[in-house]
Amino acid sequence: MSTLIVCRCEEVSLETLQKTAYQYHCSSRELKLRTRAGMGVCGGRSCRMMIEQIATAGDNEKNYETETIPLKYQPPIRPVPFGVWGGLSDE
Amino acid sequence: MNKRIYTHPILENLSTNEEISFSFNSETLSAYKGDTIATALLANQIRTLRYHEESGSPRGIYCNIGHCFECRVTVNDYPGIRACLTLVEEDMVITSGKKLPQPLKHGGEENA
Amino acid sequence: MLDAMIIGAGPAGLSAAISAAQHGLHVEIVDEYYQPGGRLLGQLHQEPDGEWWNGIEETEKLLEQIESLHITIHCSTSVYDLQKVNKKWVTYTDQGNWESQAVLIATGATESPTPIPGWTLPGVMSIGAAQVLTNVQRIQPGERGVVIGVNVLSFAIARELQLAGVDVAGMLLPPPHLLSKSEGVPQEVLSSLLRFSHLAPSVLMHRGAPFVKGRLAKNLVTAFYPEKGMGVWGIPLQLRRTALEIKGKNQVEGIRVAKVNRKGELRNAITHDIDVDFVCIAGGLSPLAELAAIAGCKFIHEDALGGYVPVHNEKMETAVSGLYVAGNITGIESAKVAISQGTIAGLVIAKSLGARMINGKINEALQEVESRRAAATIQFHPHVISSRESLYKTKKTQ
Ligand SMILES: Cc1cc2nc3c(=O)[nH]c(=O)nc-3n(C[C@H](O)[C@H](O)[C@H](O)COP(=O)(O)OP(=O)(O)OC[C@H]3O[C@@H](n4cnc5c(N)ncnc54)[C@H](O)[C@@H]3O)c2cc1C
Ligand code: FES
Repeated sequence: MSTLIVCRCEEVSLETLQKTAYQYHCSSRELKLRTRAGMGVCGGRSCRMMIEQIATAGDNEKNYETETIPLKYQPPIRPVPFGVWGGLSDE
Repeated sequence: MNKRIYTHPILENLSTNEEISFSFNSETLSAYKGDTIATALLANQIRTLRYHEESGSPRGIYCNIGHCFECRVTVNDYPGIRACLTLVEEDMVITSGKKLPQPLKHGGEENA
Repeated sequence: MLDAMIIGAGPAGLSAAISAAQHGLHVEIVDEYYQPGGRLLGQLHQEPDGEWWNGIEETEKLLEQIESLHITIHCSTSVYDLQKVNKKWVTYTDQGNWESQAVLIATGATESPTPIPGWTLPGVMSIGAAQVLTNVQRIQPGERGVVIGVNVLSFAIARELQLAGVDVAGMLLPPPHLLSKSEGVPQEVLSSLLRFSHLAPSVLMHRGAPFVKGRLAKNLVTAFYPEKGMGVWGIPLQLRRTALEIKGKNQVEGIRVAKVNRKGELRNAITHDIDVDFVCIAGGLSPLAELAAIAGCKFIHEDALGGYVPVHNEKMETAVSGLYVAGNITGIESAKVAISQGTIAGLVIAKSLGARMINGKINEALQEVESRRAAATIQFHPHVISSRESLYKTKKTQ
């Protein structure tokens, strides 16, 4: 059977993610940095929930009360074409 | 097969549109005005929009609304254009992303 | 400088622009899609009274008002950043930047996929992709396909595919793995299915609904659920079949299917292959809140609302001054609710910028949201009402 890919952009499999999560007992952020899952062109829009789910799978206590999204979003959230970085071009 | 839906039991019939021509990977194709690049290609039975940069696996549209970035193509030399969000235009030159050479990976071998 | 910039031309953003402009505000809308309407455009389902909810017509109604109020919509414009600079909001887009006093984020929802081996093949798409192809762009996603994932959205869209002449060979469950959770468990799926039995009254109501009062009853229903599935509008709804793998070389050619027991476990895996040329994956929806996150909103996780939502109150205010949210970014609900939420946001923004005599209208709009929420034909989660109530009671945005 072909592998189960979780992050399509970087082609990271469920197996790799689970192994890494188990081996390093890591947070979703660390899991992302170690495997590159969620770091591709789409900015993790498609797989961030799954990465979080894998990272927290071992914990019984899910800490939802932190008031922040576990995998931080950073601008730009869409690729910026060259030449756009400038002053205000419109009113 | 990806067929056009001309008639529909509830929605209005598709008003057949103006034909326009464009090219995809050097092949001249035609589509309707109002098609996105993605639907223009689907109407020509082309589903593969690019190949994954590292593994070379074929990719087509996934979300069709701009979220997943799977449909990136190069349009008139601008790379990274989402085919599902971009209307096709007369004489547009579209090319699909290819697997990139990976000189540093796998001991430098470069095959598909 | 604009009074308010509205991000997203879906039902929430459009209706917010309308109510704000009606109270004298100078607003503009940006949207990265090539036409306005958001996810409303593709919607097509039958209400219990037999009337069709036609998203294209509903969008046109909103656009008529937008036009008569001379509101500019900038389509094909992607917002990549949103910051407050010197007490003004700056919306950064690939077509230039805009300054405004207030910003409404109405970016809607995104689909959360359930991955399946082989799902990167061309011809595999999200269920929403198939909806847009079929109802908006008028091209079939393929000739014959399956829908993986049984939920209110995939149920409605399977019907839409069929109306457009596409052969839906079946609706199946996703393979049982960590990421498919209860979506792979026949019992859980069946009980959620019965909540929207009004979408297919003739079949589901009669077969199942009267039984599903308790846990035991639910087990009984799944026990009696025909192993080969049953037809809903002629589409085999197979709660005891799971999609193991999507097969194909350069595109989808088929799907490998296995039997599961009532708990969704694979029984010594007798498999067979079905020939299909497309596959839709329906994993559910979650709020698309990335811009709210970079603009500094706090978040709360609510299953009933689809995941992480920016903390906000029933007036659509966030804790960040001058920043508002409306529509599916606040929780997954139907377009009618999104429209009413947009109306509230537009009114509340107008009030904050000095419009007077507006409280009565805000109260009316607040009531409209509640009544539309209670009457929704498509309700994405059974606890949406109580979840909203507790969010608005406990979370202080000021
Ligand atoms: C694929 C899909 C299918 C759905 N089908 C149904 C259905 O059949 N029935 C039903 O009742 N509900 C359906 N829904 C739920 C739907 O979200 C609501 O019905 C309703 O459309 C929500 O309205 P909204 O205005 O909040 O968001 P939307 O209608 O989603 O509009 C948001 C808009 O914001 C734009 N946008 C997002 N990010 C950016 C950015 N960074 N820059 C610029 N523009 C941006 C998008 O292009 C979009 O046009 C569906 C949702 C999805 C995602
Ligand atoms: S198909 Fe997902 S961004 Fe175009």
